[in-house]
Amino acid sequence: MHILLLQLLIFFTSAVSALEENALAVSCPAMMKEGGGQLDLQKFRGKVVYLDFWATWCPPCKKSMPFLNNLRNELVDQGFEIIAISVDEEPDAAYLFLKEYPVDYRVATDTTGQCPKIYDVKAMPSAYLIDRKGVIRYIHLGFREGDKDEIRRKVIKLLSEKIEG
Amino acid sequence: MIFYRFLVFICLLVSCSACSVAPWERGNLAKQQMLITPNPAHAALRAHVFDSKEASSGGIGGAGGGCGCN
Repeated sequence: MHILLLQLLIFFTSAVSALEENALAVSCPAMMKEGGGQLDLQKFRGKVVYLDFWATWCPPCKKSMPFLNNLRNELVDQGFEIIAISVDEEPDAAYLFLKEYPVDYRVATDTTGQCPKIYDVKAMPSAYLIDRKGVIRYIHLGFREGDKDEIRRKVIKLLSEKIEG
Repeated sequence: MIFYRFLVFICLLVSCSACSVAPWERGNLAKQQMLITPNPAHAALRAHVFDSKEASSGGIGGAGGGCGCN
């Protein structure tokens, strides 16, 4: 009885371990667009990655897409990549949207909600800026017009960092 | 025994926090039909007609005299 009650208490009060700044980014079960298989962040080591959680029902997410696309195309040669994980529960929602509004960066879908759970997404959109070593250096919540300069500055700063060894 | 009851109460109380809707699960809530007024134009028209017909009874507005003619 004691143990059961204590277990219940621990279960309900314990927080899910979340990925925070300076933690190592982990892969999650998101499926890459057009049969690209499961997302593997290891493949992006050596690049600065902007991992963006978005959805077609989220207006600020859609607002951020032209800016992110331009930023990606501008800095892709320097080793910058964007991976946008759609968290739409309807499997085709993201692809139908992207047919109308295509982007050049990589897109993955997670209809199960496991990826945002692993990353403990607190707002839509949420972005995790990952450095060349695979460490989350900056978490950006939401998207406003005034955020563009800050995001650009942080990406350029991470791109300028050299990998040691 | 009181302690156990208190513990169960705390568990039940805290378990309510697990019922919240996560930010990425709000797709259905964001749908047009989930709005309190799904069609603002239609709602405005109904409010106008209601004002016209019920103004004399008070409580909603001052338009018209209850004749329903505007």
